Amino acid sequence: MMDKRSVADLALFGARPLFDTPKSTSNLVQPPLERFLAYAHPGLTAPGSVTRQFEARLAAFHDVEHCVSFCSGFWALAVTMVALALPGRREVVMPSLTYRRMADVVAWTGLLPRFCEVDAHTLAISAETAKACIGDDTALLLGVHPIVNCCDVEGLSELASQHGVPLMFDAVESVYETVSGSKIGRFGAAEVFSLHASKLVNGFEGGYVTTRSASLAAKLAALRDGATLERGAIDARLDDTHAAMALANLDDLEAQVERNRERYLRYRDALHAVPGTRLLNFDESLKTSYKNIVVELLDDWPLPRSLTIEILNAERILARAYYWPALHAKPMAYPHVATELPQTVSLSGRFALLPCGDFVTPVDIDACVALLSFMRQHAAEIIARAESREAA
Amino acid sequence: MNTPVMTPVFARDIALGQRNLPSREQYDAAMRDIFERRYYTNHGPLAREFEARLQRFLDARHAICVTNATIGLMMAFDALGVRDSALVAAPGNPALRHALTWCGIEALTCDADIGTGHLSIDHASRLLAGRKPGALIGSSLWGDACDAAALCRLGELHGIPVLFDSLQAFGSTVAGARPGAAGRMEVFSFGLDDVLYAGGGACVATDDDALAARLRNIRSSYGAGAPVSVDKTSNGRMSEAQAALGLVSLDRYAGRQAHNRELFEAWRDRLAGVEGIRVIEPSRVDVSNHQNLVCEVDADAYGVTRDELIERLAAHRVESRAVFAGAHAQPLPGATRIGAAWMTLPLGAHVSVADIDAICNLIAQTSVERVGSRGAAA
Repeated sequence: MMDKRSVADLALFGARPLFDTPKSTSNLVQPPLERFLAYAHPGLTAPGSVTRQFEARLAAFHDVEHCVSFCSGFWALAVTMVALALPGRREVVMPSLTYRRMADVVAWTGLLPRFCEVDAHTLAISAETAKACIGDDTALLLGVHPIVNCCDVEGLSELASQHGVPLMFDAVESVYETVSGSKIGRFGAAEVFSLHASKLVNGFEGGYVTTRSASLAAKLAALRDGATLERGAIDARLDDTHAAMALANLDDLEAQVERNRERYLRYRDALHAVPGTRLLNFDESLKTSYKNIVVELLDDWPLPRSLTIEILNAERILARAYYWPALHAKPMAYPHVATELPQTVSLSGRFALLPCGDFVTPVDIDACVALLSFMRQHAAEIIARAESREAA
Repeated sequence: MNTPVMTPVFARDIALGQRNLPSREQYDAAMRDIFERRYYTNHGPLAREFEARLQRFLDARHAICVTNATIGLMMAFDALGVRDSALVAAPGNPALRHALTWCGIEALTCDADIGTGHLSIDHASRLLAGRKPGALIGSSLWGDACDAAALCRLGELHGIPVLFDSLQAFGSTVAGARPGAAGRMEVFSFGLDDVLYAGGGACVATDDDALAARLRNIRSSYGAGAPVSVDKTSNGRMSEAQAALGLVSLDRYAGRQAHNRELFEAWRDRLAGVEGIRVIEPSRVDVSNHQNLVCEVDADAYGVTRDELIERLAAHRVESRAVFAGAHAQPLPGATRIGAAWMTLPLGAHVSVADIDAICNLIAQTSVERVGSRGAAA
């Protein structure tokens, strides 16, 4: 229940928070314990067997020939980059408005991040935005699916083949989606996914790569097993327990997507009544997981985004700025191609992620939106009070 | 070898590795606890508890838990800012070579002592007369330890930081302390091959507060201490499931070590009667975790080469493996000998003394058959 009546009732100003337990943007979905244990038990006597089962299941899920599991999405990305980068070239063309550690991933590989703009409509890299950055030193094109819907898969594929540059996708946020009638997981040379607890498929920690290429799959597996001394080798296997958790959650995926959809529709209906906000809509003509809730704070939203998030966080609503600051705008201690990306900077100030996932009920959603509405109505007083707090 | 068609001695695979997995009851209880709490990763209560327990066990100011040993080593090099090259012994863990490659650090390969298989301090001193690597790395292998004290003296003399790859050395002690306590950092591994099992995890131990803070930030856990500036993060978090398995395993450590010791002694006693096979006994530690059994095959005396023996054992479903002696450009007589003649044999939770008896019979027979067939040919 949103019971704030005056600005003094806000937790930012010392009142009791709206929620006793934090409402986060992490999924934290949990399968039935018995199902998880049933998947995990074979691993206690035949280590590695659960992970093999996981790989076969995920290849089938993505309708793709091969799946190679890793200890995390981060290291799945890094190893795949090393495996795919054109020898003798140094630059990875990638968006700046993306996963906050993506440039670090590239830095570990010894390649250079070369940041490009994103499309203002999809918030993602596109053929149009990547084109200008492709050149003689391009080792790899990194397409990244945004948090809501997918990037321009076909355009990027065409661009990559025109220039003879390998294309891989970070598909961490698009596990369930389809484009052009095909499951995400089949595109580019490889696609990379995460099993972090915050993601659609919670495996505690973990990641995996899908590819149609048998030779790439074999190479990735050898690197991942640390079975070679080639560049990129790293013993970074997925533990059976993590694989079992992911398998158990996959069993429940359709039901989870239905729950996500209910949450999304609840937000959509409620946010209609809050001027100054725009919910990013899922493209319902395609398969989608409805997992993440992203709102744009429009020009007529009366509070700065940072203060908006600060207020929500104080109420234990763990809303977050959408990919802010943009990667190119952060200090980097490693080699990169310096650039200015005005559209990215402007977009990076406008969006916020709202609570989603298994801990969030319809009542929670109503309370979050009611709070936003309250904040909008009392914006002037909130700003004045926040300023006087800073002065004190 | 001219092996006739035969039935394997074993009806199951006898794999390498410690395989110190929990019982089903222990596993279920640990997982039930996590499911009740619904905290899965990001430096949760079990990861914090495991770190605290490891700190006490290792007598280290900091134990920073990470997802696996290679990433732990990479984080250690990055935290210390190791550049250009690092001195390492040729024999050792491939993971160490992998980590160096990822960090853009060249391995300056040092020869090994032919008796212990560990880094030759003499050769290290000679190498350091001509070059100044960014770090000296001591690896403690096969339940034994390298000469950490001598390596640290060399480091001090030349002004080079010393750190330790103790991936195989959890629980072993030298003069009552963890094997690499004298260095800046020490990395332990908790995989299937190791005496402590934490779902493939690892930890970096250090007594240095500033390094620990850097490691925690490179690991990129949320809410783990004060933020400090680091060049890049690594995503090296240990999950709550890994920490839970580690805690179960730590509770059982004494029993596992005792089992290992019993198996080690069985190997040593049985193989003492086989001419041409020498068991490498831990000599520098005062207590060994005995997590590996390594032996040297003198092909002349034994009658069969190391590789032939590995093949023969595999035919009987017994896994064994050549010791990794590293790629090295320059001639290193000790490492070359180790690479050609040393091997590891099964020793772990899934192995019994009776298994070892049977394998030792096989090893003894292999020699007799070979010597016999040679005699017949002559």
